[in-house]
Amino acid sequence: MELKEGKHRILMVSDFFYPNFGGVENHIYLLSQCLLKLGHKVVVMTHAYGNRSGVRYMTNGLKVYYVPWKPFLMQNTLPTFYGTLPIIRTILIRERISLVHGHQAFSTLCHEALMHARTMGYKVIFTDHSLYGFSDIGSIHMNKVLQFTLADVSQAICVSHTSKENTVLRSGLPPEKVYVIPNAVDTTMFKPAPERLCMDPIVIVVISRLVYRKGADLLVEVIPEVCHLYPNVRFIIGGDGPKRVRLEEMREKHSLQDRVDMLGAVPHAKVRSVLNSGHIFLNSSLTEAFCIAILEAASCGLLTVSTRVGGVPEVLPDDMIVLAKPDPSDMVHAIKKAIRILPHIDPQEMHLRMKEMYSWHDVAKRTEIVYDHALRCSNQTLLERLPRYLTCGAWAGKLFCLVMIIDFILWRLLQLWQPDSEVEPVPDFKPTELKRG
Amino acid sequence: MERAQRRWRKVAYGGMQPGYDDNHTDDTFLQEMVMNANVVKRDMLKVMLDSVSISQYLCIVALVVLVWTHTLNSTITENFLIVLDITLVGSGFFILLLTAKMLSFNLLLSYATKISFFTTGLYVLSPIYHTLTRSISSDSIWALTTFLVILHLFLHNYSGSTIKAPGALENPTLTSNISLNASIVASLLIASRLPSRLLVFAIILFSLQVFLFAPLVTYCLKKYSFRLHLFVSFLLMAMTLTWVYRLHKLLFVVLLGLLVFVNLVCPYWLIRIQEYKFEINGPWDEAKLCFNITD
Repeated sequence: MELKEGKHRILMVSDFFYPNFGGVENHIYLLSQCLLKLGHKVVVMTHAYGNRSGVRYMTNGLKVYYVPWKPFLMQNTLPTFYGTLPIIRTILIRERISLVHGHQAFSTLCHEALMHARTMGYKVIFTDHSLYGFSDIGSIHMNKVLQFTLADVSQAICVSHTSKENTVLRSGLPPEKVYVIPNAVDTTMFKPAPERLCMDPIVIVVISRLVYRKGADLLVEVIPEVCHLYPNVRFIIGGDGPKRVRLEEMREKHSLQDRVDMLGAVPHAKVRSVLNSGHIFLNSSLTEAFCIAILEAASCGLLTVSTRVGGVPEVLPDDMIVLAKPDPSDMVHAIKKAIRILPHIDPQEMHLRMKEMYSWHDVAKRTEIVYDHALRCSNQTLLERLPRYLTCGAWAGKLFCLVMIIDFILWRLLQLWQPDSEVEPVPDFKPTELKRG
Repeated sequence: MERAQRRWRKVAYGGMQPGYDDNHTDDTFLQEMVMNANVVKRDMLKVMLDSVSISQYLCIVALVVLVWTHTLNSTITENFLIVLDITLVGSGFFILLLTAKMLSFNLLLSYATKISFFTTGLYVLSPIYHTLTRSISSDSIWALTTFLVILHLFLHNYSGSTIKAPGALENPTLTSNISLNASIVASLLIASRLPSRLLVFAIILFSLQVFLFAPLVTYCLKKYSFRLHLFVSFLLMAMTLTWVYRLHKLLFVVLLGLLVFVNLVCPYWLIRIQEYKFEINGPWDEAKLCFNITD
């Protein structure tokens, strides 16, 4: 079976995919599903998770390659530069890929795959899901790596306008090459409770990993203050992490055991039921490129109170979210305001509005446009591409060029060892055929 | 139909904005970026005066090395060293009590007991230190000591004190602890080359006193009065330079060059490279908490 005119064969690459769980994983899965529905062929490549290694199929025939490379740190594979070249080349040729789409700046697999794909002359697209500062050593290193990868991508995608500004600054990419396509939310999964909750007590829900970056320390200051001001407010905290101990200490210290519920880690399937037991969603992140959690809460009809950081102010219209500076007194103030306007919020109406504003189908369509743009870019030889790397820095530029030249030589050697024509392509099949068989 | 085009808004909701592509870049792009927000304008004189504390400590270390050299050359006797130890403890205490304003009998008593325990322990252990590095050649010891002293100077915390001073907010960092340990090891190595046990005891006591408490004393002095601090520093520099001159002419030139470098060249250099400072802040930065987290 051949794909129709204008349809692409896309390889999604990231270290982060199911069974791991998070925003990026969710994004790749749902985007792939929508692209499949639009008639494209999508293949996902990630590293092996535990004993899950090899090829798997997910819903609607989404093919996933779990490449047998073990993660070594925070679900990242060991950066080897050239180690993954043979397997990536084989996958690209076998699946007759036309476009490579990498996700997440700190995924080593993604950077390596994009590098090899560029060497082999494929068009590549990169989606950045996170924000970085410019001042600490970790960020400086990451920014250099990103500069290397982005020096030669066809197009880049960011999840919010703030993230676009950040990416442009970090990588030196011209702004018109960077597209903003936000995340979306599966509104069919996050529906408000059919019956409106009683307003007494007012329940404030927090669902996040309890770590420093998610502002768990702010919660420690804010919760006792709010409990003191409003005797009819209860808190439900879902999530686990190193700061959980601090929250539990706070609960004991202010004897709030009966008013602050700590649920521990909440599996994604249960997030909806937790959200539906509350009126207000509280997000205390210190940095956030987009924040899908806010979307999920709004889709369940909760009023959101959030810190004004990163891309959060762009996510919802002003009447659906109360923003505050990331300091305890301002956040308490915002919660006060939220409690005041709470009676005017209709969860069902909010859900309907969210349905209008966000859908993965829309995201897929907009991504499709970016793919078309990328494919229209002219083909370039190695010599034409090298000057772009040279401009990346006095030392780094030469180093990047060297890396690319070696990659090119290795690729040619691989071609001698096993010519492209000897790699057997995989037959395509549609999920409908699968069902019939 | 010509409809008035709606203005582009910096929002992520509502799908693609009609009339604008997803890669639309507005005038508002990077509007919230702030450059060099936290850069402090530095004043040459102020930087020079601040660098005096570095040269002061350099001189203190040079004095210690001088005492080491004279002891190894046997130009200093045991008795002189012990008298030096006692005067140092006495004057150190005196300065601390005067500047930190913590005169109290109980505190003095607890310090006295601690010091006596420490000294006794050191005295009992000195035979072990005496023979500690007998199997190692002297050249290795000199090389290692030089390396450790340089390491100590590099990692030393010049703006505070590793021993927590009364009223100091910050806890000592890892590097300052490494620096302190390097200096202690260096003094043990030197002590193990000495001929008699009493000398070993006296020199270790002397080195420990200086390395542990000199930063504390100078820190308190500086907090008490900056002028006094300057006066003491210049006095120390003059003393050190004279004694080094008597010992060795070349070393004198090296030390003098080092002091000039630290006090004149480095401040000028710092002011000059300020113009290359390029700091970017914006909404993507991680928010800083405005309160202290007490774990």
